[in-house]
Amino acid sequence: MRSTQLYILGLFTFLIWGCREPFEPEIENVQGGVLVVEGYLDSNGLESILSLSRTAPIGGVESFVPETGAKISLRASTGQLIDLIEQKNGQYLFERDIAENQSYILEILLKNGEKYLSEPIIPIQTPEILDAGFVRDEEGVEVFLNTQGNQDADDFLWTYEETWVFRPEIRTPYIYRTDSKVVELRKEEEKIDLCYKSVVNSDLLLETSSRFEDQVVFRQTIKEIPQGDERLMERYSILISQKAIDQKAVEFWETIKRNTDDIGSIFSPLPSIITGNIRLDGNGNKPVVGYVSLGVVKQKRIFIDQREVSPWNFNDPAFDDCFISQEPVYIGSAQYFSDFGTGSVLPARELMQGTTIVAYYTSSRRCSDCTLYADRKRPEFWED
Amino acid sequence: MKKFIFIFLFCFSFGMTSFAQTQEQPRITGFFSGISLERFFSQVEEKTVFRFFFKKEDVKGVIVKLQADDSKLSEVLNAVFEGTDLHYAIGANNAVFISKGKKLQLMLSDDFFSNVQNTNSEGSAQVGDAFVRNNRFVIGQSTPNQKKAVLSGTISSFETKEIITGALVFEKVDFVKTISDKNGKYTIELPLGRHTIYIQNLGGYIEQRLIDLRGDGELDMAIGESIYSLSEVVVNSGVVNQVSRPEMGVQTLTVSEMKKLPAILGEVDVLKGILVLPGVNSAGEASVGFNVRGGASDQNLVLFENSTLFNPSHLFGFFSAINADMIESVELMKAGIPASYGGRLSSVLQMKPKFGRTDKIGGSGGIGLLTSRLSLEGPIGEKTTFIAGGRTTYSDWVLDYLEDKADFNASRASFFDLNLNVRHTFSDKDKLEFTGYYSQDQFRFDPDTVYSYQNQNLALKWTHYFNDQLEGSFAIGKDAYAFQIVGEDNPLNSYELGFGLTQDFLKAEFRQEKGFDHVIKYGIHLNRITLDPGLITPYGAESIVIRDEVEQERALETSIFISDEFEINDNWFVSGGLRYSLYNYFGPQTSFVYPAGEPTTNENVIGEKTSKNGEVIKTYHGPEFRFSGRYSLDNQSSIKAGVNSMRQNMHLLSNSSVISPTDTWKLSDEFIAPQTGIQYSLGYFRNLKQNQFEFSTEVYYRTMRNLLDYRSGATIVLNDDVEQDVLNTNGKSYGIEFFLKKNAGKLNGSVSYTYARSLYQTSSFEKKEKINEGSEYSSNFDQPHHAVLVMNYEMSKRFNATLSGNYSTGRPITLPVSKFVYAGSERVYYSGRNAQRVPDYFRVDFSINLEGNHKVNKLAHSSWSMGIYNVLGRSNPYSIYYTPESGVLKGYQLSIFAKPIPFITYNFKF
Repeated sequence: MRSTQLYILGLFTFLIWGCREPFEPEIENVQGGVLVVEGYLDSNGLESILSLSRTAPIGGVESFVPETGAKISLRASTGQLIDLIEQKNGQYLFERDIAENQSYILEILLKNGEKYLSEPIIPIQTPEILDAGFVRDEEGVEVFLNTQGNQDADDFLWTYEETWVFRPEIRTPYIYRTDSKVVELRKEEEKIDLCYKSVVNSDLLLETSSRFEDQVVFRQTIKEIPQGDERLMERYSILISQKAIDQKAVEFWETIKRNTDDIGSIFSPLPSIITGNIRLDGNGNKPVVGYVSLGVVKQKRIFIDQREVSPWNFNDPAFDDCFISQEPVYIGSAQYFSDFGTGSVLPARELMQGTTIVAYYTSSRRCSDCTLYADRKRPEFWED
Repeated sequence: MKKFIFIFLFCFSFGMTSFAQTQEQPRITGFFSGISLERFFSQVEEKTVFRFFFKKEDVKGVIVKLQADDSKLSEVLNAVFEGTDLHYAIGANNAVFISKGKKLQLMLSDDFFSNVQNTNSEGSAQVGDAFVRNNRFVIGQSTPNQKKAVLSGTISSFETKEIITGALVFEKVDFVKTISDKNGKYTIELPLGRHTIYIQNLGGYIEQRLIDLRGDGELDMAIGESIYSLSEVVVNSGVVNQVSRPEMGVQTLTVSEMKKLPAILGEVDVLKGILVLPGVNSAGEASVGFNVRGGASDQNLVLFENSTLFNPSHLFGFFSAINADMIESVELMKAGIPASYGGRLSSVLQMKPKFGRTDKIGGSGGIGLLTSRLSLEGPIGEKTTFIAGGRTTYSDWVLDYLEDKADFNASRASFFDLNLNVRHTFSDKDKLEFTGYYSQDQFRFDPDTVYSYQNQNLALKWTHYFNDQLEGSFAIGKDAYAFQIVGEDNPLNSYELGFGLTQDFLKAEFRQEKGFDHVIKYGIHLNRITLDPGLITPYGAESIVIRDEVEQERALETSIFISDEFEINDNWFVSGGLRYSLYNYFGPQTSFVYPAGEPTTNENVIGEKTSKNGEVIKTYHGPEFRFSGRYSLDNQSSIKAGVNSMRQNMHLLSNSSVISPTDTWKLSDEFIAPQTGIQYSLGYFRNLKQNQFEFSTEVYYRTMRNLLDYRSGATIVLNDDVEQDVLNTNGKSYGIEFFLKKNAGKLNGSVSYTYARSLYQTSSFEKKEKINEGSEYSSNFDQPHHAVLVMNYEMSKRFNATLSGNYSTGRPITLPVSKFVYAGSERVYYSGRNAQRVPDYFRVDFSINLEGNHKVNKLAHSSWSMGIYNVLGRSNPYSIYYTPESGVLKGYQLSIFAKPIPFITYNFKF
């Protein structure tokens, strides 16, 4: 409540003569290269990733500058030392079941010799997501969850990943073999009419359970899918991750959220400086971004089928011009070789004479090939 | 510096020359504080063409003690000679003859007129108008048996020599009257004999002529034309001359001056009007919050008579809370704040209410595109007058209209306010004044969340004149401010969030004149403040939101003050004051305990402490000094200096740079100490060309302690432990201001320029966080260059046009310096607080006022005001920010009034 509703006031600006224009101020990149640490390390031994990077110039193309070659370990208060294993691209793997009743310090030794230490971190056991579901209303579909906090886990951070079936506007069973110049039916692995689109979302959802009776967070909105959205063109799935975090982590995430979502309107708060729980050993004032937590992520996946929410009326105006051609392209004609040869036109429907296919009605590739927009590979978790 | 001033003056006066007025009869201006008559004469002779002829022994012992502001010599002398045996006579060539016992006769004999002619013309520049007024003109030659005679002539303007149509000419006793025709000719038939003829040009002065009518004849009369228009003009008598006042940094705007400024949406705005003054600027467009000399917007004491307005704005600051029809004048004190005011650090904005006219019931109103207002005023019986007024808005249709285009839904915004002021005069010695104000604002941006807030002010003031020297006033009242947010996004999570503040006050103030040269003021103020910092409750039956309340805060402010104004001699005039403020913070209250000397962070909490009801938890007290002095260089110029120290026990918690409806107040408590500040200022004041121009320049330096800034990620709403989120901050500001104002003439206006800085620094003892590593940084309202030009051209009494220009350096802003990827999206990394600025601000507004005709028997007088806000259509960025769009950062600038905005309002008065 406090972070979203209180700050949407700025919207009004746009209503009364407000004017929002793109603007690129000239800023000297004086402070490039602040260390950024991101990670929620699983205390139950599941694979989890700690990511090290550097801030990049605001006007630059690259935004992720990985920090490689660092030596990272987690030191328990008992003195036990657990190393993280460097993967590629600034990713460091953590995979160890650790005792949850003590505190840990993350030690990062960069290749330039700088040593960073986290403040002591106590793992937090995230409670299970009690239930997740959705409601259909005139606005569309709202995905929600219910959960309950406890003494150790009061504040929650939810993130989510979405996957849905993506179908092209025009499905075609045919493929033109460029080598043999023959049109054949597509094999299973060549099919381009069923893809799966995945999005990792950047939304940060925060809530404090103690605001509610018995610490029950009831019907916490995770995602609102507007009526007619592509996500529910056939079947949709959302994986919700629930993390219990401590009070200081809440501040960190709220700052991150506020700095990106809420800045710039009339009543917006002033931007805050992001810090976290990582400090340079010996100089606590040197800027570092990142809040590392230890704990267990609880996840819940739900599926929503288009039939459950119909009528959905999905329509993407970008494909409004997609039609199967009126004029058939006869096999062996000059057009047959030129159109299908480039790959931008695909055979879509056959024209039969008797029992023989003599020609094909066509469609353009952008209307028929889902791999242009999504991935053919069926995700392991997918249930039909 | 001098060169600069000179260029300024030059530019301005150059623009004026073509409209300059014909030089009129010399008038007297100046402050004469107890000088001898002889000295007075010599001073007048220095400044004017008058020459005095008198015997030294006649005038011995007569003391001149008055303030003249563009006064006629006769008026001044009448005042000086009152109660003495002295007389004067003004002759040709401005010779003034002073005589004792008997007036020197300068009049020509009756025969002179009858022999030469029967037409009198008084228009010649050699004849002073005082002469004309006091001379008895002999008209015509008597013929036997004639009882009546016809007097005729032409009426013209003394200043422009043009004929005046529609002037009323009437005879004093029998009230025989006539009106001059389109050629300025009048004809009136009167009995023979001596008469007093009055001539009045509508809206102007009444002039008189003495005649001795002996037969038909002509008398041509030139009368003074004033610049007054129909809208009431209030001359604040206390503010006659900025040169001679002892205090500095005080500026007054009358409502009629404000009415000439182009307003947003055609509504005369009391608070916007003061933004033309030097040293006053605003953090953002459309915000009523204003900053005075590098102080935050909560450091301004906004007073409606005795009542404090905690949220002086309507509709997110597009309008200010007080209806301009209810106000007589507005006075802004940036320095030289009298000891009778306290409680805020930066400035005092005193709005003086109207109490209604005494002659008859009348009213006024206005109809604009977004708002309408109506007021009624007049006498109730002989001793009571009232004024009641209200304003309301119907802006929803505009929102609807704009929403269709903008594809937003369900925005609503509305407000209304009501005023009632009543004055009852019991006798010459006692009067009672009541002022009441109520306002309500409500708005929403989506159907689910409704915001509303209310101001409520009631005050009763009894003024008693004990004797000629002693006057006392006693006021009691209540100020309240509250806001609510109702969120109904989801029936289960629906909530109502509220904030409330109540202030009950008692004030007793005395003003005592002692001898001729002392004015002593003293009194006591009691302020009981009750503050409900926040309460969230479930809204609706289904809601499972838990009720949560931040504990109520209570405090009592007690202040005593005494001040003295002392005119030491002609040159020196000093005023000094002392105010002692005692602040008690009361229980019940539960608060955390932190180890002594340790930062108030959550980690350092070592316990909890509960204080009982009425128990004094913390006391702060301290003196405040107010001192200012004036040294007159001559009658037209002076140097002033002042030192002011102030204390403020309440803090506005705001994490945004303008006053927003969700900002809450916080009382000083055991962790948060009162803000204190001291300001040193020095100024030079000069009036030019008989007060046609006022020029002033002031420099100031001020330091402030115990200001509040916020650490990263601070939460303000429903925060039980605000001390953990605020940073003790020191402030410093300094600047130089120039102000030139032309008061009279067809082209009038003002130009002001300010160079000022306002810097903050986290206190050295603050250990929670150091903003910008403990070095100085610009405050949110640090805008070094600020210039305002207002030009008003009065083409006629019915038509005037105003052009105003406003320039300032862009306000400081914290911009991201780099970006990084976190939680699946690009994020921005901010570094130094307020290290960058938005582009400079520049805006030009234009407005015209059209008065209806001045026919006497019209039902209502009406006027139109229309114009264009932001004529150039410049998009002045209010802010610049980055936001991710599909995971990639995009920079945006946000402007509020990016287009020219036309407005029109119909005003009427009956």
